[in-house]
This record gives sequence, structure tokens and C-alpha cells, in this order.
Amino acid sequence: MFFHITLERNMQLHPRHFGPHLRDKLVAKLMKDVEGTCSGRHGFVVAITSVEDIGKGLIREGTGFVTFPVKYQCVVFRPFKGEILEAVVTMVNKMGFFAEAGPVQIFVSNHLIPDDMEFQSEDVSNYTTSDGSVKIQKDSEVRLKIIGTRVDATEIFSIGTIKDDFLGVINDPGAAS
Amino acid sequence: MSRHREDDYEEEEDDEEIEEEEDDDYRRRTGGRKRGRSDFIDDAAIEDDDDEEYKDEEDEDEEPYGGRGQKHRKRGSEFFDLEAQVDSDDEEEEEEEAEDDFINDAGTDLPDESGGRRAHRPLNMMPEDQEDVEEMERQVYERYAKSSHIEYGEDATEVEQQALLPSVKDPKLWMVKCAIGRERETAICLMQKFIDRPDLQIRSVVALDHLKNYIYVEADKEAHVKEACKGMRTIYSSAKVMLVPIKEMTDVLSVESKTIEISRDTWVRMKLGIYKGDLAKVVDVDNVRQKVTVKLIPRIDLQHLANKLENRDVVKKKAFVPPPRFFNIDEAREMHIRVERRRDKDTGEYFEMVENMMFKDGFLYKTVSMKSIRSQNIQPTFDELDKFRKPGGDGDDDGDADMASLSTLISNRKKGHFMKGDAVVVVRGDLKNLKGWVEKVEEDTVHVKPEMAGLPKTLAFNEKELCKYFKLGDHVKVVSGVQEGATGMVVKVDGHVLIISSDTTKEDIRVFADNVVKSSEVTSGITKMGDYELQDLVLLFNMSFGVIIRVESEAFQVLKGVPDRPEVVLVKLREIKSKLEKRTNAQDNRKNIVSVKDIVRVLEGPCKGKQGPVQHIHRGILFIHDRHHLEHAGFICVKAQSCIVVGGDNVKHGGDKFDARFGLRPSSPYLQSPRRPPRGPMDRGGRDNRVGGRGNDALVGRTIKIRSGPFKGYRGRVVEVTGSFVRIELDSQMKIVAVKRDDISDTPGSATPFREPSRYGFGSETPMHPSRTPLHPYQTPMRDAGATPIHDGMRTPMRNRAWAPMSPPRDHWEDANPASWAGTPQYQPGTPARSYEAPTPGSGWANTPGGNYSDAGTPGESSPTYGNAPSPYLPSTPGMQPMTPNSANYLPGTPGGQPMTPGNIGLDILSPAMGVDNEGNWFFPDVLVNVMRPGEVPCVAVVREVLMDGSCKVALGTTGDGDVITAHPADMEAVRPRKSDKIKIMNGALRGITGKLIGIDGADGIVKMDDTYEVKILDMNILAKLAV
Repeated sequence: MFFHITLERNMQLHPRHFGPHLRDKLVAKLMKDVEGTCSGRHGFVVAITSVEDIGKGLIREGTGFVTFPVKYQCVVFRPFKGEILEAVVTMVNKMGFFAEAGPVQIFVSNHLIPDDMEFQSEDVSNYTTSDGSVKIQKDSEVRLKIIGTRVDATEIFSIGTIKDDFLGVINDPGAAS
Repeated sequence: MSRHREDDYEEEEDDEEIEEEEDDDYRRRTGGRKRGRSDFIDDAAIEDDDDEEYKDEEDEDEEPYGGRGQKHRKRGSEFFDLEAQVDSDDEEEEEEEAEDDFINDAGTDLPDESGGRRAHRPLNMMPEDQEDVEEMERQVYERYAKSSHIEYGEDATEVEQQALLPSVKDPKLWMVKCAIGRERETAICLMQKFIDRPDLQIRSVVALDHLKNYIYVEADKEAHVKEACKGMRTIYSSAKVMLVPIKEMTDVLSVESKTIEISRDTWVRMKLGIYKGDLAKVVDVDNVRQKVTVKLIPRIDLQHLANKLENRDVVKKKAFVPPPRFFNIDEAREMHIRVERRRDKDTGEYFEMVENMMFKDGFLYKTVSMKSIRSQNIQPTFDELDKFRKPGGDGDDDGDADMASLSTLISNRKKGHFMKGDAVVVVRGDLKNLKGWVEKVEEDTVHVKPEMAGLPKTLAFNEKELCKYFKLGDHVKVVSGVQEGATGMVVKVDGHVLIISSDTTKEDIRVFADNVVKSSEVTSGITKMGDYELQDLVLLFNMSFGVIIRVESEAFQVLKGVPDRPEVVLVKLREIKSKLEKRTNAQDNRKNIVSVKDIVRVLEGPCKGKQGPVQHIHRGILFIHDRHHLEHAGFICVKAQSCIVVGGDNVKHGGDKFDARFGLRPSSPYLQSPRRPPRGPMDRGGRDNRVGGRGNDALVGRTIKIRSGPFKGYRGRVVEVTGSFVRIELDSQMKIVAVKRDDISDTPGSATPFREPSRYGFGSETPMHPSRTPLHPYQTPMRDAGATPIHDGMRTPMRNRAWAPMSPPRDHWEDANPASWAGTPQYQPGTPARSYEAPTPGSGWANTPGGNYSDAGTPGESSPTYGNAPSPYLPSTPGMQPMTPNSANYLPGTPGGQPMTPGNIGLDILSPAMGVDNEGNWFFPDVLVNVMRPGEVPCVAVVREVLMDGSCKVALGTTGDGDVITAHPADMEAVRPRKSDKIKIMNGALRGITGKLIGIDGADGIVKMDDTYEVKILDMNILAKLAV
């Protein structure tokens, strides 16, 4: 799920950036530092939409670095248990398949794939129904439900299922070609 | 007896009746003593308290002795009625005595809670009461009448209990040996004897069921025991009487843990025989004969059986235990084993009989003693259970086995299994499948808050009716069983079995719900067994090798070092020979050196395109760890030749052609490292003086290897030289460390013989050019040339310095020679060295060496070092160099060599630091070395001959009696001498001198010279062990 939230961060800026473009530098650095990171609490920071406030800088003794408290608004993405997501399959193996929904990697175990889909280890390994009508392979787009998440310091990993109504392949560019 | 016991138990339960009882007492007291027996008996039957108990016991105990009739009984009971009012310590003692005596009769029934209390019994003995009960009655009455009534009962405190423990004043317990199996008999006989002979001074006799061959006798003196035992048939007269220490007395009579009920369908393990440790299922229990019938997977060697049946050469029993396999009648018949079909008379089932063994459905049915099975804490693994399900794969049995395993599982689980907040599900009873959360746990009872609305707030369940419950997606950790320690997310819940997707391997793990707990931790389960850990490179017995990719309970999964096709084997701990820790290296597709931790990309084979850091290198085979590779724990095994090094400082090898030409060598030390002015004192001996201030720079920027100290083995770039310290930027860590100058070697070690030697090779060759000009190819340069590949860094820079002032700008030089380089890209890694060391006028290079290089670059060359080093002075014979370098064998140790190279000697003397370098050491004939050639197992060899280019002819084996091969110096390492070994000094002023190592002091060795008998302290690194 995406959220638009306000976060705060203390930014340290090198003295060489002090000057007319200080604010720009600071924002650029903030974007560089923050976007794409992941925290267990908020999830992935997708983009910074605006900088609300830059507080007064504090010069650190010895180094000359200045610390600014920066308040910024950003879009974060955090997967939740029970959430339905659309994701792109990145890898298929006999244990299940991995899919990515933006920065989140989701593993769908073969226990969570409908029983009528079987693993086929052809040159492009895939899961196929017995009648061959549905095929999950690399680059397929699937709709899945997240049943569990594990949050590390730098990564959110989820386990998903497609063993439910309305879940499964939604678009398969691989099959069409 | 039975009544007594009953009373004992009831006594504990019935609290409320005590009051009533007291009323009774009162009535009795006031109402007179002559109460009807029947009244009393009623009381006795219903009411219980201490008094009753005593009375009862006394009552009973009278029977055997007195054999008194109803009348006695009645009177006795009246007496005890009284006694009830005058309860006291004395009375207690009396009671105890009685009880003990009684138990004495019964022999084995002694072990009960009275054990501890018995000690207080006074010495007075039974006989009187046999003689005159009336008299005794009177006496006792008197005794009790005068003592005050003390409330005494169940509420005896711990301290009181403690006070009852035996002390030194109490009679002792003696252990007497008797005929085996006759323990009870002996006890009874002693009792009889005691009855018959009142003078016997023993107090009690105990025969314990679990103790064979011994009985316990309670008496004050050993002599009393001996006396009692005299003439007993079942006690050997010679038998020793042993005293039981006071501390252990209570243990003798304390009750052991409750006997385990073995019921049908429980899982047990065999304790003995070839089935030892095997899982078995109980099919029948015979409690009387203490036998159980179990169902096992037979371990039968049919061939052996057939042979035996036909009386053919019955081989002596082998140590080999046949693997468990289901019994197949047809197979047996084929081997001419007679199989009978018989009906069991009790169960009516049919069994196949072979040699008194009963089979059914392939299982062996075996009747064994209860003692030979283990029934507690059996945790059948899934494998075992699966096997048990097998026969014919019938579906019905499945559920059965599953249920059985569930029951076993539950009965075997640990105490305190459930905790508040656990999600549980009811697995049996009326409320089966009800889910809820644990609210409170009391002993066996678990209070559960049900999930469903409309039910009471909490429900109490027996622990056994509950099972932990997990939902899909829960992150759990396995806390017991084979998979202990693993974590993962639940992907499937199948009754009480969970399927977990492991965090690290993404593999499925099947576990019992009871064995896991919710956790947010991430681990991969056990990672270590014995000396071996996950991801270790190990040598297996058949000389194959592989990486441990998984540690199981008793075995490792090893990805074998077979390229192109992943081969995983399961090996036991003992099948692993050793860990391979030697850091070697290999050459990739473009002949770049690949060392451990380098990132490589696979260019061909099934794993094409995979990329990752090299974890291990062995015999030219790389084990790469690709995080995105899911199989084999991410390990890929490939030939070094089918990979290419990417990233890091290895780029220069791959992309050299381009870079070299344009002089853009990003990794060139000179471009990378900012030059810093030399700081600190010039403490490097004569060299600095000779060479001048710029000298420091030579080391700065150089890639070196740290030879000792805490950073031993690291490679890095010298950032700065500060006095005796060198600051080094480590390749492997983002860190600059200060290391003593003595601790570095500026030729990188064996880890990178390719890159660095070539660089220095050129450097050291440089002086040859001038020397070649006067056409003295065999003089000074020769040594250098010979030393080239192993050339010690300290020496090289010096040259550099010497030449540097003259050297033209590098780019210049390179631009001048593009033609000569174009054709031989593999040599270009060497260029950086040349760049700053090439001092000679371009013309000199352009002519001769150009030709040399192209010659040297013949495809046959395996290592550029070979070609580079010799080529300058043997331009006409480049072809022979790689393997047989230079026929003009130049032995550095020979006297001829040294005088001819005064520069070097001077150097050695002037710069002691120089000799420190291991890699720079000269090898001498007879020195013992370890030869490590890429792709081969390291072996010890003796140097026979040192060739011009520093290569050595070495004879394999510690005594040098093996094959003679030519080894490159970078592949050799002097064997570090031990104390009192004969050594040769390989470097420094004393080079070539032999001596004896008489002691080792840290990094220094104390050497006694052979010829002068002088004792010198020398760096261990310049000492080499001599072959015997």
C-alpha cells in the first residue's frame, strides 16, 4: 500500500556546499539519501514529493559539517499481510516463483499455487495448468495476495499466494510472444 | 496392606472430614472407651486422618505377628482409638515401627513416602507384643497417655521432613549380595527368620524390583546383618556386606519415576542389537511378562539368511549391519528361503514366518522385553514416519500413522510447552478444531480463550488435547527436531504439520507445529558440525572436494567440485577428510588471476550469466556464491576458465588492451594514489641515501601484501610511508591501516602471482638493458632476472628509484610503443610496471625487446612471467622458456653468482629489511619447500636445482625421492623450520649459510651457524628447512 507521509531527517551537509544553492544541494542530497531506502516501519521510500521545512543548521565542531533537520513529504510503499498486489514474475523454480512489485520481492511457494498448476522445467521453467490454458513464467504479471512479510533492515520480503479467487495471471507478455 | 495404602491416599484428599473426625474423637473420649468394633470400622473406612492411619496400620501389623482374632482386633482398635487422642512423637514412632515391620513382611512394597520417616524408630523390638499383647497394650497406653497431644499430620513442613532424614544415630542400611532373581525370596526368608528368632537384631529387609542381585538390610551393626544372613541359602556366606552411606539411604527407598506405560501404537526405539536406535511401533503389550511386540522395518540380509538355512559356508558374523528394508516374500522365495504362512492364535492374523521371525506387510514383528526398548522422548523424524507408512502406499494407513505420530508427539512434549498468548487448536475431544489463545497454564491444564463467540470466556483443556496453531504467513522458528534453528514463513498448514519456506534457502521444511515458535529472527538452522561449517571447502575421501551447502543432523550436503553439472552428495562427518583452507588462485578465461572474494561472471556452461564473489578456489575450479541462485545454497561450481573477473581492481586485466594503449589505467597505482611527499625519517638504510629523497614514493601507491601482524594476508595499496610504519588502504575493506614496514611484502603473495610479478618482472629486468648493452648477459642482470618472479618488493622499488629520475613519462613511452603491444594483449597487464620502470631510451626497447615480446607471447605460454623474465637476455630462444628456462643454470647460491653481483650483495647488507621478505627469498638446493601449483594438491618437495629465472627443479617428497619437476618460485614456499631443524639462510648477509635452529622467539629464529658456531637471531622468514 502507498502512503503519503511526512518524515523527518537530520541531514549533514559538507561546508563546500554552503552558498546560494545550499537549499538545492540539501534537497538533492536528501533525495539521493532517502529515495529507494527501506525502513521496517514505513516501508520503501518511493519518492520525495516536497520538502516542508528545513530547520536551522547546526555547525558541528571539528568537522565543519552542518546538520539540518529536514521535514519532507514522501510517498512510501509498504506491503501488508492480506494485501492484494500485482507483480511481475522474476524467477520460477520448483519451489515456487518470485515476483516483484516495485521494490518488494514476493515469493509464492508451490504450496500456495493452485494445485492444478504443475511445475514444468522446460527451457523456460513455468507453472502450467493441466489443460495448458494458464502459464506462469518469467515476466508474467500476476495478481497475488500477501500472506506474510519479513522486514529486515534494508529489505522487505513477502510471501504471497495465488491460491484464491481472482488471483493468478493477469497478463502474460511471455506467452503472447 | 491395601487398606493402609488406600488410607494414605485418602488422607491427603479428605480435609473436610477431619473436623467431623475430631467430633468423633471427642465423642469417643467422653463417651467411654467401649465402643463397638463396627463403629470403629465404619470410621476407619470413611474417615481418615493421622490417627486413623496409625490405628489402621497398627491394626494390620498385629495380624502377622500375633495372629490374633477378632477379639484382639477389637481391643486393639479401641486402644488405637485412645491413641488417637494422645497423638505424639512417641506414638508416631510406634506407628512407624509398626508400619515398617509390616512392610518388612511385604518386602518390596516399602518404597513409599514413609521411607524418610522410618529413621526415628527406637530400638525396642517386636517380640514383647507377640508374647503378651495385653501387656503391650497397657504399656503403650501408658506411654501415650502421658504425652501431650500434638497435632501432627499432612501439614508437616519441609523442615520437619528434613528432620526425619536418617542421621548417624539411626540404624544403618546394608547392602547384601544374594542370588540373582531370589531377592524377594531372600527378603521373605529373612522376615520369617526374624519372626522365628526374636534375637535377630535386624530391623528391616528390602528387596527392590529394579535392583537385581542385592537386598538391603537395616541394622545397627554389620555383625547383626551377618548373623541374620547366616545359613541363608540364597545369600552367599562369602558375600560382602556393604554399608549404604547415610546420604544415599533415602535414595534407596525413594520411588523412582513412575513406570512408563507403554501402550499400543506408540513409537519406541530399540535399545539393543542390530536394530539399535531403530524406530518401532508397539503392536502388542504384555504387561505380565514384561514383553512388547513391536513392528520394525527388518534389517535382514537375505543372502546371509539363505546361506545359513542351507548350511552353506556360514561366514562369521560381519560387522556390517544390513540396511533397513521391507521384507519381500517373493525375493525370499527366490533365494530358496522357506516362508511359512501361519496364523497367530491370539490375534487371528496371518504372518509369514521365516526362521522364527514373523513378518507382515513387509514389517518384522518382534517380541522383545520391555527393557530393551526406549519409549520416552521419542521424536520420530519425518523420514522414519514416511518409511513406516510405506507398504503398498495404502492411503488408510496414512491417517493411522499420522494420528499415532501425533499422539506420540504430544505425549513426548516437554513441560511448559504452552505459553500465554500461544494460538492453539483443540485436537481431540468434543471441541476438536476449536481455536483459541492460551490464557493461563496450570500444570497440565491450559486455559484457553476460544476464538469463537458465544463460548465461555475461558475453557480449560488438558494439555494433551491441544496443539499449537499457526496461520499462513506466520514467521516462525523451529525450536526442536532435525530442523532446529531454522526460520521461515508458514506456507501451508496441514493439521499439526506445517510447511515452512525457509528464509535462507527458500526450501520447504516440514515440521510439527509443536516444534516451532513464532519469531522474527532470521537464521538458517544449524551451520556447524564437528570442525566443519557451512560454506567450508572440504576434501572428501575419494580425493574429490566440495563446498558444504547444508548441514543436516548427521550429514552434510556437499556440492562437489565438478564443473558444468551440479553434483550434490550427502556425506557423513567421518567421510570428510579435511578442510581445505589453502588460498590458491586460478586463471580466468582471459588469464586473469582469480582469487578468493573476486567477483566473477560465468561466461559459459549451464550457469552462464551468473555472477558472484568467488568463495573457494581449488584445482582451477571456482565456487561462486550467487545470492540470486537458489539452488545449492547459492553456490555455483565452475571451471576458472569459463569465468571472467569483473569489477574491483581486477578490471585492469580484462580491459587492459584499451586502457594500456591510451594510457588510461584507472587501476594503475600511480594514477589512483595521490602522491604524498615522503614523511618521517629515512630509516630504510642505505637505500634512501643512495637513491635520494624521492625514494619513498616508490612504495607509495604500490599494491602490497601484508605478511604478518593482525592484517596478515591482506592486500592493499600503500597510501603513505610514515617512519617505520606504512599506511595501507586495504583492498578488501574500506579502511586504511598502519602496518609496520617489516610486516609488508611488496610483491603480492602467491595470491596474485600473475599481476604483480609481471609488473615487477619488468622492473627488475630494466637493469638488464644497460647490462645487455655491454654484452654481459650473465652478469648482474642475471640474478635479477632469475629473481624476477619472486622478486622481493624491497629490492624492486630501489631499482625503480634508481631509474626513476631518468624514466620518461609513462604515457609517452606507451604511446611510443603501441605496435609492440597491440598483438599481445595478455602481456599488457605488465605495462604499468614497465611504465614507471622503463628507464632506457625508447629506441632500445623498440628494437630488441619488441621482438622478444612477440616471441615470448607464443601461445604456449601459460604465464607471462615466464616469458618476460628470461626473454630479454635470451632473445633467441623464447620457445624453450616456459618449461625449461635457460640452460645456463645459474644458481644464486653459487659463489660465482655472488661476486658478480656486488650491487645486490651490497644491498643485502645495507638493507636488512630486504631480507625479510618471504617472497623475495632465494631458494637453495636441498631446501625443503611446499609446492603449490594451481590446480594441484600442495606437496612437499626438495629443491634440487635453482634455474636462471628463479624457477627450481624440485624433487617431490620430503626426502626428494619423487618426481623431479620444475616449479615456479611463486608456487613454492619454504617449509618453515621447527626448533632444532637444520636450516639454510635464504636471504640477507648470511645467505646460503647453513645452521641449526635452536630456538624460536616470535618471528625471530635463533640460529647456530654450522661453520662458525655463532648464534644469530634471524627472521624466521629467511630461514628454510633443509631436507634430511
